[in-house]
Amino acid sequence: MNRKKDKGFESPRPFKLTHQVVCINNINFQRKSVIGFVELTIFPTVVNLNRIKLNSKQCRIYRVRVNDLEAPFIYNDPTLEVCHHESKQRNLNYFSSAYTAAVSAVDPDAGHGELVIKVPSELWKQGDEMNVLKVYIEFSLDQPKGGLHFVVPDVEGSMAERGAHVFSFGYQNSTRFWFPCVDSYSELCTWKLEFTVDASMVAVSCGDLVETVYTHDMRKKTFHYVLPIPTAASNISLSVGPFEILVDPYMHEVTHFCLPQLLPLLKHSMSYLHEIFEFYEEILTCRYPYSCFKTVFVDEAYVQVSSYASMSIFSTNLLHSAMIIDQTPLTRQCLAQALAQQFFGCFISRMSWADEWVLKGISGYIYGLYLKKTFGVNQYRHWIKEELDKMVEYELKMGGLPVSSNGHLTCPTPHLHFSIKHPHTLSWKYYKMFQCKAHLVMRLIENRISMEFMLQVFNKLLSLASTASSQKYQSHMWSQMLVSTHSFLKSISNVSGKDIGPLIKQWVDQSAVVKFFGSFAFNRKRNVLELEIRQDYTSSGTQKYVGPIKVTVQELDGSFNHTLQIEENSLKHDIPCHSKSRRNKKKKIPLMNGEEVDMDLSAMDADSPLLWIRIDPDMSILRKVEFEQADFMWQYQLRYERDVVAQEESILALEKFPTPASRLALTDILEQDQCFYKVRQGACFCLAKIANSMMSTWTGPPAMKSLFTRMFCCKSCPNIVKTNTFISFQSYFLQKTMPVAMAQLRDIQNLCPKDVLNFILDLIKYNDNRKNKFSDNYYRAELIDALTNSLTPAISISNEVRTVDNLNGDVRLILEEITRSLNMEKLLPSYRNTITVSCLRAIRMLQKNGHIPSDPSLFKSYAEYGHFVDVRVAALEAVVDYTRVDRSSVELQWLLNMVQNDPAHYIRHKILSMLGKNPPFTKAAESPLCNEALVDQLWKLMNSGTSHDWRLRCDAVNLYYTLFGLTRPSCLPLPELGLVLNLKEKKAVLNPTIKPEQGPDTTEMTGITMGGLITMETVSSVSMSSGVAPPPQGLKRKLDSVVGPLGSSSPEPGQVLQEEDTSKKFKIRVRISSAEDEIDMESPHDSQAFIHHHLNILERPSTPGKEPPAVDQAVLSLPVTPLPSSFGKESTSSSKHSGDHHHHHHHHEHKKKKKKKHKHKHKHKHESKDKERDSHAFSNSPASGRSVRSPSMSD
Amino acid sequence: MFVLQRSGGGKATSSPAENYQLARRRTLQVVVSSLLTECGFESAEKAAVESLTEMIQSYISEVGRCAKAYCEHTARITPTLSDTVVTLIEMGFNVNTLPVYAKRSQRMVITAPPVTNAPVIPKALIAGQKRTHPSHIPSHFPEFPDPHTYIKTPTFREPVSDYQVVREKAASQRRDVERALTRFMAKTGETQSLFKDDITAFPLIAARPSSIPYLSALLPSELELQTLEETDSSEQDDQTDSENTPGNNLNDDPGADKENSMLPPGGVVPSVKASEENMIDNPYLRPVKKPKVRRKK
Repeated sequence: MNRKKDKGFESPRPFKLTHQVVCINNINFQRKSVIGFVELTIFPTVVNLNRIKLNSKQCRIYRVRVNDLEAPFIYNDPTLEVCHHESKQRNLNYFSSAYTAAVSAVDPDAGHGELVIKVPSELWKQGDEMNVLKVYIEFSLDQPKGGLHFVVPDVEGSMAERGAHVFSFGYQNSTRFWFPCVDSYSELCTWKLEFTVDASMVAVSCGDLVETVYTHDMRKKTFHYVLPIPTAASNISLSVGPFEILVDPYMHEVTHFCLPQLLPLLKHSMSYLHEIFEFYEEILTCRYPYSCFKTVFVDEAYVQVSSYASMSIFSTNLLHSAMIIDQTPLTRQCLAQALAQQFFGCFISRMSWADEWVLKGISGYIYGLYLKKTFGVNQYRHWIKEELDKMVEYELKMGGLPVSSNGHLTCPTPHLHFSIKHPHTLSWKYYKMFQCKAHLVMRLIENRISMEFMLQVFNKLLSLASTASSQKYQSHMWSQMLVSTHSFLKSISNVSGKDIGPLIKQWVDQSAVVKFFGSFAFNRKRNVLELEIRQDYTSSGTQKYVGPIKVTVQELDGSFNHTLQIEENSLKHDIPCHSKSRRNKKKKIPLMNGEEVDMDLSAMDADSPLLWIRIDPDMSILRKVEFEQADFMWQYQLRYERDVVAQEESILALEKFPTPASRLALTDILEQDQCFYKVRQGACFCLAKIANSMMSTWTGPPAMKSLFTRMFCCKSCPNIVKTNTFISFQSYFLQKTMPVAMAQLRDIQNLCPKDVLNFILDLIKYNDNRKNKFSDNYYRAELIDALTNSLTPAISISNEVRTVDNLNGDVRLILEEITRSLNMEKLLPSYRNTITVSCLRAIRMLQKNGHIPSDPSLFKSYAEYGHFVDVRVAALEAVVDYTRVDRSSVELQWLLNMVQNDPAHYIRHKILSMLGKNPPFTKAAESPLCNEALVDQLWKLMNSGTSHDWRLRCDAVNLYYTLFGLTRPSCLPLPELGLVLNLKEKKAVLNPTIKPEQGPDTTEMTGITMGGLITMETVSSVSMSSGVAPPPQGLKRKLDSVVGPLGSSSPEPGQVLQEEDTSKKFKIRVRISSAEDEIDMESPHDSQAFIHHHLNILERPSTPGKEPPAVDQAVLSLPVTPLPSSFGKESTSSSKHSGDHHHHHHHHEHKKKKKKKHKHKHKHKHESKDKERDSHAFSNSPASGRSVRSPSMSD
Repeated sequence: MFVLQRSGGGKATSSPAENYQLARRRTLQVVVSSLLTECGFESAEKAAVESLTEMIQSYISEVGRCAKAYCEHTARITPTLSDTVVTLIEMGFNVNTLPVYAKRSQRMVITAPPVTNAPVIPKALIAGQKRTHPSHIPSHFPEFPDPHTYIKTPTFREPVSDYQVVREKAASQRRDVERALTRFMAKTGETQSLFKDDITAFPLIAARPSSIPYLSALLPSELELQTLEETDSSEQDDQTDSENTPGNNLNDDPGADKENSMLPPGGVVPSVKASEENMIDNPYLRPVKKPKVRRKK
């Protein structure tokens, strides 16, 4: 009943939430449990509000009351277990669609929820008067797996002495994990939060702390918070612990909290927060919207930074002392990100998931402005380039990254193995790239409308929101605190008068990036530069660009910008040159920034006045440019172009030109103090590569050695490094990087030169940090990394066992250093144990190169819970690598076991993502690890084992995809309903969605012949029937599973419920307080919604539902395939699956006698396995034991 | 010089010196015995005689020492009669009775102690040339002592100031210490090994999980803090700045109660002004309220 249609926001719910009370009376650290209640004040917006849907996961709900009347409710979470017929289905397409359906079924943005409360009929009449309803829910959480994380160190003492703490966490809207609410970013309300905790603890939450009151026994205290600014439940958080409190010395309304003993670090780390505040308030010309701000630093954080209304939760590992150099900028950046999200993300929320990019974009953009101001333009441009490259690489790999899923069905995502319609179905990597692209797009908008207008738009959004926020209970005004793509664009056009619609269409609605190839020729007669810009818009992830592009040409007489129009067919562009070529006149050459420099022009082409050319220098298109110009031009560009992006590009290009001139240019850059340190670092690695390519002609000492000696060693004794001071950070970073790059040098035998190794060993030996006020832990760690880099594979005679005796002399020295460093770390641990991390990597490298026996046990001990998280990750990385190299199923099991049981969520996530990055095998290769048990295990993990953590589930899906692809894993026996089709010479007909996935299977089975075999899934039966009136059994079952327990359009409720109970295994909890109350499950409203969903799912092209057309086509084009008969059988008797299966093979054998042998084997294997599977199908199902039916249900 | 002499004498010339002293002592014993006889004792226990001998020796020694002191006080080297007399008077002895006592009739004559070789004064360590007296000092004044008693004698080598060697040495010393220490730790505790054939080859101290791993990983070690204190004095200003805060916190407490009652529901907005008066009004610093007494029955 949203009358403000012009605002474009229409609540999906038949009611409006205005206020919510959350009261947690008891937090038990010993048992890790929480007890409390919530009270939601809602205004119905329809006449007969008979049911209320709320979000709640894993909470145990004791009672629900509406206006003091007991109300019956149903608690049903379809995401607990995604697929129920899981004994048959193992393909990711199927899972993905089922998962999307499950998430949609409880999506608060669509008005759904896990908790359905029936409004007592006495209150129905009140609907006319639109009276307030108060929904009171008592709940508890016992050992929550998600939403709240308890950290309880296992030491002596009280909970406070032990540093036990608890905090809320989650990815996107995950508040439903710890209290019932409307878990949507678009449902705003005011809040009252009460937390009763032990007297020694502090409860930090959103809003203003009004008072703290002791309980009557004086052993506990209650923190009362009030949040008068309308806020979405998803932005509410809590952390409780024995925190040390630090009031910011500059801003007393800002309070910092850290764990015991870390106060000195907190003081130092927070000492510059006020500068970030000032910066944002100044550029946005808007005060920080909340009356207070709290930062809490917790252990085992889910992510480094998470922002909630008026508070942010950080990882405690961001804290550092004044002695630490490297962490300082990182921590500041995290703080700046958190604060930017306070304005856009917490205060201003989003209307729907499709609008998320605006918030992420704006917060990322203003964070970028902070970077520019604090760390300088160089750092900023470097960051933009880095982000752009990352994003482009991802898009090209994944084939597109649509930022807004704004119902643009024109932009399907069949290439992705997950749905982007919901934040909870996304792969984590995608989400990261999504944020990256969002802020890059904001930057493009800035380029279009100027920064001034941009900031005005932000200011407008903020001031509208703050006006709205001060309105009490005028709930329709609150929607102005929500931003949508539409309202954002409208603001932009109001403020700037410019229409950026095309820009949005190109970069937001449409996925893919532009790929340019540039080359040029100089026409001397006409004094014209003939530039050719080609595009690749056919390969995946690319799009065609039409529009302006900037080209900068540095000539002898100066630098000139040209704007070219990229049009449909024009490849060549003629650019007139301003200067005649001349060499004799000695004159300074003006650069882009007005600077005039002397250049040695002897290297350049005598006929051409061109020094260098850059395409799209400002990165105003999301693109990848591959430009061809002569090596001397790259060298000039590196030396004289002042833009760091240009310098980095030229460094990359120079790798292909291993000449003495390149060497000289790089060395010169290395020596130049004025040059940005990251460019110099890049130059180090490039120089190492060039030196390796020039091996035979290289003269003089190893690359960089004399340079390093000159810069960092003592004048009197050049083999000894100066004692550390690290006063100049630029040289510090260079000093760290050079040895690492030098260690990449190789001699003719492809070994690291002896000189270099000794040099590095000397650096370690003579390292002296006694007079330094900074810690040298990062430097020492990089020296160990340098040792790691110097390692080359051992020469092994047959497969002898590696022993101490046959250890190579150099390796012995390296190993000695590593052993000593690692042991010293136990006695004098370094900050964040950086040295241990490097040592573990080095040991793995030694193992991998065959110098020492390959053995994961050391890493496994370091990976155990109780080590510092960085160390664990490094150790796990080594185990993951070992698993791949040694194909060890024991280690793989060990890792997967840790994924399921480790207390730290970050570690679980990290293991899965590392396994995804460095998979033990892939879908393209055979591996003994790839077996049915593993498929089952992973399937179970993503199907039901990770329901408490969206991110982890998506990680599991990713891993499954990497290992097995979209379709049924090749190691499984053919499914009972599977079709094996001979598609000889008809490959082109294949549906592109399945074609790439089919690759390995086909080649494996058919060898060199042109034929292709396609394994179709059970799903085909569903789609086949889509045109037929009476749905076959298969469809019905599938329908039900998607629809869930509520989707019962059948007229007999009892029966349906019964069936659900046995076959669907949904977790249903029903509590009926009074006997007269009858739950009406058959509301047409609900089932319609569910059917709607279901249809949506069928329409999704990426789901199996769309596959059949392809099959049909294929079938028609093959006259001899025995398809019709099998089809008929399938649709008529779905119960005779195994018979069908057999049948197919039979026919198949007939057709392909050539491969009879091969097929035969397959067949046997499959049949026997199938039998086995059939008999165990139900007992194996993880779901079988899950069906919980409340006893009250039968009442 | 004294020390050297004694130790030298103790070893090389023990027997003549002892003989000499024993002879004197025996004489004293005879004296004691004769005095006892003179007093009418017929026999005495050995221990008693011994004690009396000791007493008389002490007395005589003291007289000698004092007389010497008096004489040296007057810048002479040989005591005169008057020195002895003053000494005796000082020790409470009536000198006038001495002539009478000496001439008493029943006194016994004691034979002189047997002549023994006077102990050889051991040769002093001679280091360098003894200085002769300058011309303005009369020759009767004592000689200069041996030069090594007043001239510094170099007993150490010149320290190496070569930078390279120093660094070299410091580096290897540190490395040795570290290696020894880690080896020791590895020997005494649990270890992990990289090789299967020789477990002792490169022993690694076993990784031990800690219950609160972030503390050791984040907090600077004491060693680092020490270096920081030594090297860093410029940053102290900053530190005192931030250390103001806890002080303020304490000041804040008494006034906080009033603040509480007047606090508007809006929150902590007035804190900005409060900060001007060096009062931080932060809700987390306010005292915890007592529970309200229930009025209901």
